[in-house]
Amino acid sequence: MEARIEVEAKRSSGFNLPSGDRDPVPNALDEGMWAAAAEGRLVVQRCHSCRAHRFPPTRTCYRCRSTDWSWDPLPGTGVIATYTWVRDGARTGTAVPGDHYNVIVVDLDGTEGEPVRMVSNVVDAWGPEDIAIGMGVELVTLRLADGIGLPLFRRSIAGESS
Amino acid sequence: MTLRDAACIVGTGESAYGKRGSLAERGELGLACEAIEAACADAGLDVGAIDGFSSYCDDRCVPTSLAPQLGIPSWRYAAMAWGGGGSSLPTAVLHAVMAVVTGAANYVTVLRSNIQGSIRLGGRMAENFRVSYTDAFGLDIPLAVYAMKARRYLDTYGVDPSALGAVAVTQRAYAGANRRAVYQQPMTMDDHDASRMVVSPLRLYDCCMESDGASAVIVTTPERARDLAKTPVVIGAMAARTNYRLNSSMVYTMSDQDLAASGQSAAAGEVFSTAGCRPEDVDVAGFYDGCSASVLWALEDWGFVERGSAGDFVLGGGTRLDGALPVNTAGGHLSEAYQQGLGQLIEGVRQLRGESVNQVAGAEIFLYSSGPGLAPGGGVLLHT
Repeated sequence: MEARIEVEAKRSSGFNLPSGDRDPVPNALDEGMWAAAAEGRLVVQRCHSCRAHRFPPTRTCYRCRSTDWSWDPLPGTGVIATYTWVRDGARTGTAVPGDHYNVIVVDLDGTEGEPVRMVSNVVDAWGPEDIAIGMGVELVTLRLADGIGLPLFRRSIAGESS
Repeated sequence: MTLRDAACIVGTGESAYGKRGSLAERGELGLACEAIEAACADAGLDVGAIDGFSSYCDDRCVPTSLAPQLGIPSWRYAAMAWGGGGSSLPTAVLHAVMAVVTGAANYVTVLRSNIQGSIRLGGRMAENFRVSYTDAFGLDIPLAVYAMKARRYLDTYGVDPSALGAVAVTQRAYAGANRRAVYQQPMTMDDHDASRMVVSPLRLYDCCMESDGASAVIVTTPERARDLAKTPVVIGAMAARTNYRLNSSMVYTMSDQDLAASGQSAAAGEVFSTAGCRPEDVDVAGFYDGCSASVLWALEDWGFVERGSAGDFVLGGGTRLDGALPVNTAGGHLSEAYQQGLGQLIEGVRQLRGESVNQVAGAEIFLYSSGPGLAPGGGVLLHT
């Protein structure tokens, strides 16, 4: 396993991300989404029976109870449903005074069935004026190790988003 | 069958309350025993008569330890409403009511004991809901979940953010008269606005405290209650259920309405229909206040005010003692103590007995509401 990207490395990458050891721990159900992110893609589960997308990963479809599914790629664009700014010092053992990161809930584009939301970060937002509900974002991934990446987002640039 | 008016609360008890870690040497088990003994004394009931235990929130005081420590010679019933710090108290009350109504037990104590030395609000979420889909992105404290819901709420309805401070200031004023309260000193809106931003839009004084303490109530049947010391408070109705597709972070599988609320609206309808009353019949309420915004959400989920108007209601004094619906009259989690809702329920009993230091004149109906949580949430309606 490669060394984790530590706080300074994340900063030097130009990404605003929470500090500390918080790499995802893939399991048999969700390893595919982290592996896809390591390759620069965003995938979510899609039910083979009713065709609905769903997140977070579950064994059984909440609509039709089917357990047949596969990973389905999404375009990687979305809209911020809500967000917060977290003071790093609010977290036990990782006090970095004055350091804030954002957490968003993003409504993902390109899904069928019902809206699909996930939690993520906007890596190029550094202060309150950089984020708003309803703002468009687009996928940017961070590869942490072999088979493990994070699906993150950046602010959509007018004229470039599809 | 219905559980309407089928059981009652005959005693309440609380240990001392203190700031986080201040009561650690007494232990969670010791504090729980103090609270149960106080509740039995209040009821005029011998502790040895307790034959059932009902707890929630994964309380660490297990009945197999409590019973011998309390000197209980024989007992027969125990229930746990797993998980859900903000949500599961109504289910714990339901378990107690079902037990005494069916004869599975005669006297059940509903209890909560919490020493916040090791389990921190500001620490990461419990292992059972600390999952990669949230933790990997820094969403690892319950207050950050509340903050995202609060942001969505303020934005959706255009609510004046100063309503958050009004909740905190109102509850501190109540706590000023409550000698049990951990925080009694007066708070102004300026004090609130000067407190540091913890997880925007929530400031320090919007967040529930970390504290030590234990509390308990005794539940039995109306028949058995006749032989006890005080006039029983009747449990008119209780209900709990999860939101549609509520999942492990509380923010990414909810409906748009529930993303900007506590998500207790379905249970609210069940409680009122079972009890046979309406929101306007409620005299005083206790809402689980994981943060100040929780009070606004509960006012709307239970139909006391229209969606989006709870801010104006609170800013106009609606939850003060002279308002239309006094709320959290002992100070709540923001100012009294963090007892995961049981402190609010006990204050409800005091109100209906006429024993509160912030007494609502002639109070006959009290409503408790859960806050957001992962386990089924809802409410408990008490009446005289």
